[in-house]
Amino acid sequence: MSESSHLEVAAYALGVLDDGDVEAFERHLDACERCRQELKTMSELPGLLDGVKSSSERAN
Amino acid sequence: MWPVRRQLDSRFERLDPETGPDWDDRLIRELYNEFGGPLLRQVRQTTGNDLQWAEDVVQETLLRAWRNAAKLTWERGLLWAWLLTVSRRIVIDGRRRRGVRPREVEPPEADSIAVPDDADKTLAAIVVADALRGLSADHREVIEQTYLRDRTVNEAAAILGIPPGTVKSRLYYALRSLRGVLKERGVAS
Ligand SMILES: [Zn+2]
Repeated sequence: MSESSHLEVAAYALGVLDDGDVEAFERHLDACERCRQELKTMSELPGLLDGVKSSSERAN
Repeated sequence: MWPVRRQLDSRFERLDPETGPDWDDRLIRELYNEFGGPLLRQVRQTTGNDLQWAEDVVQETLLRAWRNAAKLTWERGLLWAWLLTVSRRIVIDGRRRRGVRPREVEPPEADSIAVPDDADKTLAAIVVADALRGLSADHREVIEQTYLRDRTVNEAAAILGIPPGTVKSRLYYALRSLRGVLKERGVAS
């Protein structure tokens, strides 16, 4: 598997990977322990970013 | 490699498909019991406290989990991470379908939020905003143009005039450094 497949884990964790890429990445995830670990460590970041988002929305 | 898978299977194994026609109902109930509450709390933040919408998103997310039975064999932490990504895609799709931009949120009802929790959240938001400002301009930009604006990688790539692969790799390094900073400051685990 190519190095660039691993890098998609961040876009996937944020939920911003395009539909066409999601399925392929999930197949990669099934086979890649490194990405499974990385997904877990990245999975709390979107929730933290939500805090920034809603506070800036309130300020607008 | 799969001892965890075996262990996790046991969580759902009493839901043996052979045991009856109401297997599906029980599986869905089990998913709600296990993940419904925490997922709703997360999704409410993403939907800007729109409770009705958040409940719909949770329901759709758990339905997708039910349809993807293979995911249920993943260990809990990974399954949780998967549920979160699914719920975010649903929210982002929903916003785009309705053509709504992230909008002003209703302030949460005063009695629904404990004050210390709210204060913690505000503090965390300040730390996160500060950490974002500390990222390189390229890294900050891809986070802003994707997640913070409900855009997919391809949409952000078109706006920024860079290849989608570049957006993906910048997002990767951006999240890694963001997480490093937040961990240092005690906001991320
Ligand atoms: Zn990988």
